[in-house]
Amino acid sequence: MKGSVRFLLVGVFILGMFWGVAVAGNPNVAIYAYNSEMITLDPSTEFSNSVVVLANLYECLVKYTPSGLKPWLAVSWEALNGGKEWVFHLRRGVKFHSGNEMTAKDVKWSVERTIKMGGGAAFIWDPVKKVEVVDRYTVKFVLKYAANLPLIASAGYGAYIMDSKTLSEIGDNKAIAKYLNKGHEAGSGPYTLVKYNPKTEIIMKKFNDYWGGWKKGQIDIAVVKVVPDASLREQMVISGQAQITRDLPIDDIPKLEDNKKVTIKRSLSYQELYGMLNTQKKPLNNKLVRKALSYATPYEKILKYILHDYGVVANGPIPKGMFGYFQDMKGYSYDISKAKQLLSKAGYAKGGIKLLLTYMQGDSSEKKVAEILKAEWKKIGVDLEIKAMNWEQQWALAKSDPSKAQDVLVFYWWPTYATPYDFLFNMFHSEKTINFNLCYYRNPNFDKLIDEAVALEGTDVKKSSALYRKAEEILLDDAPAIFFYSPDAIYVVNRGVKGFKANPGYTQVVFFYQLFKR
Amino acid sequence: MRFWEYVAYRLILAVVVVFGVVTIVFVTSRIVPSDPAALWVGSHPTVEAIKKARIELHLNEPLWKQYAYYIGALVKGDLGVSIRTHNSVASDLRTAFSATFELIVVAEAIAILIGVPLGVVSAVRKDSWVDNLSRILAVSGVSLPAFWFGIILQLIFFRYLGILPLSDRVGTIVLLQHPLKVLTGFYLLDSLLTGNFAVFWDALKHIILPAFTLSVYPIGLITRQVRSMMVEVLQENYVRTVRAYGLPERQIYYKYALKNAITPALISVGLSFAYTLVGAFLVELVFNWPGLGRYAANAILSMDYPAISGVTIVVATTYVFVNLVVDLIQVHLDPRIVL
Repeated sequence: MKGSVRFLLVGVFILGMFWGVAVAGNPNVAIYAYNSEMITLDPSTEFSNSVVVLANLYECLVKYTPSGLKPWLAVSWEALNGGKEWVFHLRRGVKFHSGNEMTAKDVKWSVERTIKMGGGAAFIWDPVKKVEVVDRYTVKFVLKYAANLPLIASAGYGAYIMDSKTLSEIGDNKAIAKYLNKGHEAGSGPYTLVKYNPKTEIIMKKFNDYWGGWKKGQIDIAVVKVVPDASLREQMVISGQAQITRDLPIDDIPKLEDNKKVTIKRSLSYQELYGMLNTQKKPLNNKLVRKALSYATPYEKILKYILHDYGVVANGPIPKGMFGYFQDMKGYSYDISKAKQLLSKAGYAKGGIKLLLTYMQGDSSEKKVAEILKAEWKKIGVDLEIKAMNWEQQWALAKSDPSKAQDVLVFYWWPTYATPYDFLFNMFHSEKTINFNLCYYRNPNFDKLIDEAVALEGTDVKKSSALYRKAEEILLDDAPAIFFYSPDAIYVVNRGVKGFKANPGYTQVVFFYQLFKR
Repeated sequence: MRFWEYVAYRLILAVVVVFGVVTIVFVTSRIVPSDPAALWVGSHPTVEAIKKARIELHLNEPLWKQYAYYIGALVKGDLGVSIRTHNSVASDLRTAFSATFELIVVAEAIAILIGVPLGVVSAVRKDSWVDNLSRILAVSGVSLPAFWFGIILQLIFFRYLGILPLSDRVGTIVLLQHPLKVLTGFYLLDSLLTGNFAVFWDALKHIILPAFTLSVYPIGLITRQVRSMMVEVLQENYVRTVRAYGLPERQIYYKYALKNAITPALISVGLSFAYTLVGAFLVELVFNWPGLGRYAANAILSMDYPAISGVTIVVATTYVFVNLVVDLIQVHLDPRIVL
């Protein structure tokens, strides 16, 4: 009996190898091994992982790039009335996957649907009063207040243009959502959805009538594969079972730099790690103590030991590379004697400060930051208790009574779309109900500056930038948070694939249309 | 008649057990401080979005009312929607369960095919080199961490020999070129039934490593249990009698002795079966098997209570059911047991 089993197995192996060979000469396939499963597929409400798929199926009016806004479905745009009205001229001859032509009607329908559903990132459209169809290829947005609408229209969440003819036939908004979440789409992007299995893999095929056209060597079949285990993702990309991955253990990256089978693509991430200080509770309600902690933090050491220098030390609240980041702005640096000085000035010459720090369970870099802080702050007499919590618990504690909440909250922030206002408003603008201002900071002067700055973002960049700078300098002086670092986005790409470039405006997205395979 | 009465009685008892488990899970998962609304709305919600979610999820209502909603839906077979992924828990569970179930069936089959003969041989040749070798294998099988063994197998069969796939249930491209019609959710069975041999071979190749990894523990268990029972049974008078009759050795061992020796091994197979349903988490992770263990772990880590309750119901039901089946098989094998 054992013999027959062996015989069967050998047979299986041989046949299997044949199949392996038979497939190799076929269509160009690229697999993106991604660490987490998909959530929903409705472009109006999806506000999570599934954008890695949506950004290949759908398109926005405008594309964000680090070197400025670029045409996408709109070829040009202009502001009227001091940024209170915006006109977009649409690209002609763009076809949706159904064959319908993309027109101003679709833009109006999509944006209005997103606003009406009010879920996910719909808040980005808050300035919009109404959307008007001027003619077949021109659409006008009338705003409640001046805003940088082209930037909003480039958002990776909530700004995708959908095929209104196909979708409105399905039924009401709820029926459409249900239809889409079952694995359908109605976009104009370079890929169409073939198979949607949110827990395992999402398969997309090239759309032959894509307005951008196709060149030889581009990817015919694009796959997003859900692979939660990091070491398995690493194996897959090295062996060519997958072509691209990210979120590998940072400790493995230096070793992979020497691997001949892969290339490491690093880019800025627009993400930053913060230590939000409780400005409503003793002793951190004292500015001097907050400043002392800012000086007692070893920024360079943290970057080196935790990120292996794959990132940059933050010099303020806005990550490097974004509008609102100022290279020459002076942030804090490690200076223990200055920290001690400030503490004694605040009346804590002998130390005796006890603080509670919370961070997100399972995030190894946050954990290491917390441990380094515990050791370093001990030098100035601060006894730090560190506590890992899952995010919902951490956030629930932070939103409770500030006088009983944590003293330091470590977390990452990244923008819904690339504006400094997203950072400054969410984390530092006064709030009636606590949401993300988890340092409980209140400064009407600061609020006024950033509210003015955002209104000018689209029309007077220079003035807007100056206002942002002023606001950021106030933050640095008040020190309601410690600005640790901005990590690089690190993608590991198999050498068989060329053309990949990360775009920090679309977090975690791989645009398969860029890729080439020899 | 008595047989069916017994089965009915056990099934009613099962419903009570599952109901109790559901209640306990419901209460504990709501008492733990957390905010399901925050999980529901995604990463950077507005205050209004959270308020809306609280109403949508009935979180502002008293616990007993939430419980009533949950049980009301459950009775209709509706397990609700996962807070984390917004997918229907029932359909999530169906796919995850079939993936894991297929894996475990193959693993347990391997375990029985290897473990039982190994146990018999060890008992028959007690204290010989065969016995010693099988003892070493069994003890290391039980004590090796399965995920580590899985990685070693991947290293050998994928990286160095290149004859077996690294991970997943079936190759993406194979499935794309030969679409599989899903009937039962078990890829091996479905592909055979629909005559899709390309997918069948590919799925078979994919299941070998994870199934073998999972089977190492039960192999050890079965080998040791069959051996110790066999050693006892072989001393019995009736064995000496059949031997005196001059029956072939093979027939004595496998037909007459094994029948009396296999019961405890059978029970442990049954129980390890139910345990593996969620206990195979690490093996599933290493081989990227989209199974129940991974689903359960994700649900627990994020306090996704509809998913946690769903998994609990499935596991509890399987436990009860497997226990019943094992009991019935025992009755069949051993006439001394009366229902």
